[in-house]
Amino acid sequence: MRRWSRRLRHLAGGVLDLPQDVVLEVPRITMIGHLQMYIENHRGVLHFSEKELRLLLTNGQLIVSGEQLVIRAILPEEVLLEGRIGGVKFV
Amino acid sequence: MRFGLKEWTEGYVTITVRGKRFERFLNMAVREGLRVWNIRRVAAETCRCDILIADYFRLRPFLRETGCRSHVEQREGLPFWLVRLRRRSGLAIGAVLFLVGLYMLSSFVWTVEVTGTKQMSPQKVLNAAEEIGIKEGAWKVKLKEPLVLRKELMSLLPEASWIGVTIQGTKVTLNVVEKDDPVKPIVLGPRHLVAKKRAVIHTILPESGRSQVKVNQFVEKGQVLISGIIGSDQRQQVVAARGTIKGEVWYRSDASVPLKQTQFRLTGEQLEQQYLVVGPYAVQLWPWNKQSFAQYESEESRFMPSYAGYTSPIGWKQITQTEVVQNEVELSVEDAIAYAKRFTREDILRKAGKDAVIQEEKVLHARTENGKVYVSIHFSVIEDIAVEQPIAGFPQSPALDSNP
Repeated sequence: MRRWSRRLRHLAGGVLDLPQDVVLEVPRITMIGHLQMYIENHRGVLHFSEKELRLLLTNGQLIVSGEQLVIRAILPEEVLLEGRIGGVKFV
Repeated sequence: MRFGLKEWTEGYVTITVRGKRFERFLNMAVREGLRVWNIRRVAAETCRCDILIADYFRLRPFLRETGCRSHVEQREGLPFWLVRLRRRSGLAIGAVLFLVGLYMLSSFVWTVEVTGTKQMSPQKVLNAAEEIGIKEGAWKVKLKEPLVLRKELMSLLPEASWIGVTIQGTKVTLNVVEKDDPVKPIVLGPRHLVAKKRAVIHTILPESGRSQVKVNQFVEKGQVLISGIIGSDQRQQVVAARGTIKGEVWYRSDASVPLKQTQFRLTGEQLEQQYLVVGPYAVQLWPWNKQSFAQYESEESRFMPSYAGYTSPIGWKQITQTEVVQNEVELSVEDAIAYAKRFTREDILRKAGKDAVIQEEKVLHARTENGKVYVSIHFSVIEDIAVEQPIAGFPQSPALDSNP
């Protein structure tokens, strides 16, 4: 059933030319230099410290590393992160 | 995503949350719709974040479930401000009273100004304005529209052709434009024009009256030039004689000019001395040594601070000395005569009146005696010689009686 639904989504994305993040449940990340980062479609915070933010995604995790990280705002599916962002990694 | 103003009006607190499972606590809080922002880790097991007051009281179950503890660090926003303000209620009441007072005072008329009056007295305009309610201390709300006020004021003051009423803040300006009355001619009584001096007539231009003399005629002092009596012997009338009569008048003036003249000349050298003035005493402060020129002109300027009619006894005085050099000049006889001419010319023109023109000047004789030049100069000057003389004792014609 899940495989069917995923194939259907892929198909819809291809045929209707919809953006990937709408169709697939993947995060949409907007970065302003290394200063600010806006992550949509996350599934919760796993770990947060000054040096690292680990977010849960539908498939896997997102690790943002940096320095002096601050969560400026947080909503159930969105995070606005500020600080000196060093790297973004999907696990 | 964040609304700073909304958060400020609702009030928010900065809390620190201590506990190992802070991330879980955060996820639960966010999922429940609590608004949390500015999250940062302060220590290994401590995080700091901002949260709305309303949401702070909903935190408890999540804290208990995750075993975290919260501690309020800072309180910000309007509710806390109001609490602080209640503690200083006097200040708040004062601020409100100030605003109310300012508003009330600005709703009165405090000055009434009248502009543009020429013949009419401003007081009359002010009195008329007071009748329709425009006066100092009047409540602006009770005044009518400026257009209505203008109409009423204009009906009260028929002398004005237009009155502008402008209310600007607490000031009412009444701009008056007066009707221009036609210029009244000056009524002149019957008179002659007679000669002021012995003279030879140069020009005569009668405007009204009958001229009694001709050009180049010699006239004595007091002789009638333009008569105010017109008409024939049977039918006579008196008028105010008007006209311009210029005559050639002769003057003789004597002058003596010393040949040796002393001239004073400024060299341009200056010295300044500064004094401190205390009461009637003055102490020289600068320069220390007393120096001055052999001959000088001095000019003094004082600075005494004064305020509202009181003058400070302590002040400053500055004396500027300008050097003067004395020169002895020996004039030649020709120079002395020219010098004498210049002075006598000015003197003659002063005597003859402002329209006078010197037609001719002649040195009658000049002699040098005892180091002085004695000159006598003859001037012939063209000047206005007419002077009015009222006609008295003449039987007035009936036409004049009815229209004086």
